[in-house]
Amino acid sequence: MATVQLHHVTKQFGDVTAVHDFSLEIDDGEFLVLVGPSGCGKSTLLRVVAGLEEVTSGEIYIDDRLVNHVAPKDRDVAMVFQNYALYPHMNVYDNLAFGLRMRRVARDEIDRRVRQAAEILGLADLLRRRPAQLSGGQRQRVALGRAIVREPKVFLMDEPLSNLDAKLRVEMRTELARLHQRLRVTTIYVTHDQTEAMTMGSRIVVMKDGRIQQVASPLELYEQPANLFVAGFIGSPPMNFVRGTLEPRDGDLWFAAAGISIRVPGALAGATAGLGGHPIVLGVRPEDILVDPERVRVLPDHRVEALVEVVEPLGADAFVHLLAGEQRLTARVPGRVKVRVGDRLTVAPDPDRIHLFDPATEQALSRAATSP
Amino acid sequence: MGLVSQPAPYGRPAPGRQATPHAGSTTPPPAAGRGTPSPAARPLPGRRLRPAVILRHTLAWLVGLLWIVPFLGILMSALRPQAELIHGWWQLGQVTISAENFVRAWNHPTAPMGEGIRNSLLVVVPSTVLPLLIASLAAYGFLRSRARVRTPLFALIILLLAVPQQMVAIPLFRILRDLGFINSYAGLVVTHTAWALPWMIMFLRNYFATLPREVEEAALLDGAGRLQIFWHVILPLSLPGLASAAALQLTWAWNDFFMALILLYEPTRLVATQRIPLLRGQYHVDWGILTAASVLTIAVPILVFALLQRYYVRGLIGWTLK
Ligand SMILES: Nc1ncnc2c1ncn2[C@@H]1O[C@H](COP(=O)(O)OP(=O)(O)O)[C@@H](O)[C@H]1O
Ligand SMILES: [Mg+2]
Repeated sequence: MATVQLHHVTKQFGDVTAVHDFSLEIDDGEFLVLVGPSGCGKSTLLRVVAGLEEVTSGEIYIDDRLVNHVAPKDRDVAMVFQNYALYPHMNVYDNLAFGLRMRRVARDEIDRRVRQAAEILGLADLLRRRPAQLSGGQRQRVALGRAIVREPKVFLMDEPLSNLDAKLRVEMRTELARLHQRLRVTTIYVTHDQTEAMTMGSRIVVMKDGRIQQVASPLELYEQPANLFVAGFIGSPPMNFVRGTLEPRDGDLWFAAAGISIRVPGALAGATAGLGGHPIVLGVRPEDILVDPERVRVLPDHRVEALVEVVEPLGADAFVHLLAGEQRLTARVPGRVKVRVGDRLTVAPDPDRIHLFDPATEQALSRAATSP
Repeated sequence: MGLVSQPAPYGRPAPGRQATPHAGSTTPPPAAGRGTPSPAARPLPGRRLRPAVILRHTLAWLVGLLWIVPFLGILMSALRPQAELIHGWWQLGQVTISAENFVRAWNHPTAPMGEGIRNSLLVVVPSTVLPLLIASLAAYGFLRSRARVRTPLFALIILLLAVPQQMVAIPLFRILRDLGFINSYAGLVVTHTAWALPWMIMFLRNYFATLPREVEEAALLDGAGRLQIFWHVILPLSLPGLASAAALQLTWAWNDFFMALILLYEPTRLVATQRIPLLRGQYHVDWGILTAASVLTIAVPILVFALLQRYYVRGLIGWTLK
């Protein structure tokens, strides 16, 4: 059990800055998810914490101990690699036992821990097999088991599920969550998959180009994205973005783009005050585009005329792809709603759920950005 | 990850399959292409008799023949009495097989091959194990060390690869004489070891570089030190590479004549290759005993290759790890 603290950690490889001024505190027993597109520096960050790479600048503390110059084996962290990195020439038992042997744990203690981990992970019948004789999911478990038996202070997991097929991935997600409930070991979990991040993390760090974009709970990330990147990265299908300008009219500010004109709701008035004439990006999530005529009728200042281009029924929901003016929008509507291709609809973005972004800074206007 | 128990990548094509390249065209393969299509329905890409394939096979056979034919000649002449060979060893009118030449070569009064082979083994085994040990350690160091001298040192080693043996012969003789290593196997072993180190270091460094880095890092996090990683991870994963290096070095040391000639001259200490010329006979060349001795000498490297072949081929091709 441990806390992990990163203070202004920067890691450069020659000209490439893989991690840029990264500061974060991870609580004891927390399951922290680090999410971002491929190449944004997630693996590098984990490797820096593990001690496999040295930081260029900044400090790393594990349990309040500065570990910048502590060897990987003395940091008491265990890492699950993306490609598992099992020892191919050892059977499952030896793969699990290796770390304990290296640390001179007593033989019967090793046996006890290996068998316990194997029991937890359902590997008990596979102990004599070599990695090559295991399925992807089983290898994944061995990689986890190798981390568990060590009983380390911190787990570092680098996209541990990305090599599994979709069904297994969902199963393992639950299993990992259960494992964390049981062991309560501080975990940094890396993924490029926003769904995985949303379902697993209690706190999520969104990264891009080596920089933290936002640190928040899943719901907060979804409802109050700090910038355009987070807004577009979290959520599927992604948030609709419309570029336009803010125009003062009758004492109010209006968002105007070709074929769309919407009054800026009161909640955003403060943030937009004085921005008349400025370019702006409006964001609205697919489920926040209202199509129900009853609800649209009471929003006279937010109506948008749209043509239905494509309908994708998913059962409970349907995605309706709309053309409004020159803008393509995706709306998520209840599956029962009858819409057909070619229909002309009057829709309205829910004014309580509109996001505005400054296209120059890419920051959200709706509230002060929580920069770390 | 199929590292150790990987099946051979190439199956041998079933006989007759090549002659009917379009066997699959009458019955289309199952749409999914997965599952287990019946052998008859499976199309055989790459196994058709394309010109490139024919050319490759023909070349391979030609090269093979180039080696096998002279060897057959030597074998014939070793196994058959001289009288049968006057009109060429390929004359098969009358064939008498006898081990007599081998026995004579083995127990020759002045240069017994039995003793020679024993001596050769005494030289060759340590001359293989020792450089393998040193070179693998050095190679791992060269791969992972972050010291500044690494690159210049490695460049020096590559430079050493180009040194011709004849150039070092005389200084080597003097040094070993001053050290009292003349006529001793230790001297020859040290020489072979030194000679092998540059290429072996380079070969093994390159081999180690193909191993997955993460496995090493996993061991690092598991608490293993560099030497433990070397011993528990690098070496076992490199068996094919080590076997290749061993086979090459063993053959090289076994076939060596030049170094032995310089360092060993006491008659009872001569190695196998040194003895063959001594069997020639004084007044006429005794081809029977000469060829028998050659076959005896050649047998050891052939045996080694046969035993290590499984690893050896993989080691030279390298293998992919996923
Ligand atoms: N050893 C290295 N040498 C040079 N560049 C590297 C190295 N490792 C990572 N990088 C670079 O750092 C950036 C971040 O990489 P990485 O941490 O692997 O991203 P992620 O895991 O998020 O996909 C990439 O641009 C990558 O090319
Ligand atoms: Mg990565």
